[in-house]
Amino acid sequence: MIRRLRKTDPLTLAGGVMLAVLVLMSLLPFVLPGVDARSTVGPRLSEPSGSWWFGTDQLGRSILPRVLEGIRTTMLISLAAVVVATTLATVIAVFGVVMGGWVDQVVVRTADALFAFPAVLLAIVIATVVGPGSVSAAIAIVVITTPLMVRAIRSGAVRIIDRDFVTTSYVGGASRLRIATRHVVPNIAGLVVVQATYSASIAMLTEGALSFLGFGVQAPDASLGSLVQEGNVYLTIAPWVTLIPGAVLAVAILSVNLVGDGLRDALDPRTVRTLT
Amino acid sequence: MGVALFALRRLAGALLTLVVVTLLVFVMMQAVPGGYEDIVLGPFATEAQRAEVAERYGLDEPVPMQYVRWVGGVVQGDLGTSLSSKTPVTEELGRRLMPTLQVVTLALLMAVLVGVPLGIAGGLSGSNPVIGGASRFAGALTISLPDFVVGATLVYLFSVHEWWFRVGSYVAFSDDAIGNVRSIALPSFTLGLFGVAIIMRTQRDAVRSVLTEPYVVAAVARGARPLTIIRRHILRNSAIPVMTVIAVLAGAFISGTVIVENLFSIPGIGVFFLNAVRARDYAVVQAAVLLSALTFVASSMLADIGYAVLDPRVGSGASARSSG
Repeated sequence: MIRRLRKTDPLTLAGGVMLAVLVLMSLLPFVLPGVDARSTVGPRLSEPSGSWWFGTDQLGRSILPRVLEGIRTTMLISLAAVVVATTLATVIAVFGVVMGGWVDQVVVRTADALFAFPAVLLAIVIATVVGPGSVSAAIAIVVITTPLMVRAIRSGAVRIIDRDFVTTSYVGGASRLRIATRHVVPNIAGLVVVQATYSASIAMLTEGALSFLGFGVQAPDASLGSLVQEGNVYLTIAPWVTLIPGAVLAVAILSVNLVGDGLRDALDPRTVRTLT
Repeated sequence: MGVALFALRRLAGALLTLVVVTLLVFVMMQAVPGGYEDIVLGPFATEAQRAEVAERYGLDEPVPMQYVRWVGGVVQGDLGTSLSSKTPVTEELGRRLMPTLQVVTLALLMAVLVGVPLGIAGGLSGSNPVIGGASRFAGALTISLPDFVVGATLVYLFSVHEWWFRVGSYVAFSDDAIGNVRSIALPSFTLGLFGVAIIMRTQRDAVRSVLTEPYVVAAVARGARPLTIIRRHILRNSAIPVMTVIAVLAGAFISGTVIVENLFSIPGIGVFFLNAVRARDYAVVQAAVLLSALTFVASSMLADIGYAVLDPRVGSGASARSSG
């Protein structure tokens, strides 16, 4: 274990540690009772100090527990969305490649068409259809990341399907389902994991942007993006209300990206990053 | 297959994608709660008034007919009429095009002018672990910074301090050229930062993958000057992935303008779109979403055709490009 850790690239390790710290921090309120994110504890908009480390917001609530809640919300929404998107994208991409022909064409065209929509515009329209909130943020993330992942996973699956061992298996009478589950999916698993990590960083960016524009998580719930939005009005007189959750969001996304880069080097070194 | 034929095939592919795009936009707008009647008339309208509005906007026709009529209008340059201002959407968009175009162009320019040289330097720097690690960290950090966080930080810094650039007020170029630059520099920087990182990384990876190609090794072996090798072999062959990424960035920047214009109070298309969503002016929303997707499809098609021109192998079908 220690030997493996020492061999891990330092940036990946740093990313992993940052991510672990953030997750643990977001769980702190459950362990330490008495930290209440919703009630007033001090004067309004007071600077970070010994009594409230991150300062207080416009209602006199301490920002630290709100940021912890924000980390939890942002991560939960992103995680849920990425799990759904990864499953969907893998099934759709592999299905298209294994079936080939017009089925594959429909998959490619639909992914291309969805990919053509600017992410934030699409997310906003989805939020108006579903109604603003964390559920619509999650749905928007799924709709945005799935076509990205379908394209990436499909390109990996196409490389596998033309290999001799797949042809041999097909000639030997294996069904398409068997080829998909026995040959294609195991051989692209590394690629899928790496793309899923990158999708998580896109998910957190999207949740942030959507909540920042007021279409995502709604008060009194807090996500890192909605905290930035709430504080933005007081930006010039109380910058900490906005900039602290913003910085935490950036650190969270950075940690996921560093882990993603490390995973790519370990699991899928041939591909360059295609998800952006 | 010649370049012209490839371009034609690519155009056909783009048209097919656009048909799917229009279908998706139409279905999305059908799914939005509240019809035109409710938005135009409010909650206290009589049945007769509702019927009149429905007829005016063609809502009494069957849904497939509405789609055909809408696409027919779009093809002729008719994007519908804004529900709140009652003026044609194209007119409204035209009035707000300039600021957005300026910010996006400046951002793209910055992304290319900074990203490409940094990427080449990174690609040629070899395997020095310190430089490699530092550039990897800088790249990961830059793509991890949300644009609204960068923007908010800049708004704070430049509104508290009397530094040269301005935040919160847009000055048109025709009114005051210097003032215009002062007002759009920061939003362009915010928008372009992400692009710098993406282009840098793509350029770096492209240079690295070209470095091991036989023609580069051969050029080194016959003693060609390093600058000649970089210019003639490395740059030209690494241009293709970079061009694709620039096309993709054009799409990402359209997303970014919604946020950046909002933060820096730039009266462009992004803010117009946001206000339209809030006012439930679906005619504008529909047009804006369609136009942005169209821009993206067109720019990626041009990039593809562009590299068919640059690289004869693309047009000949020798390279394995799966989707077209």
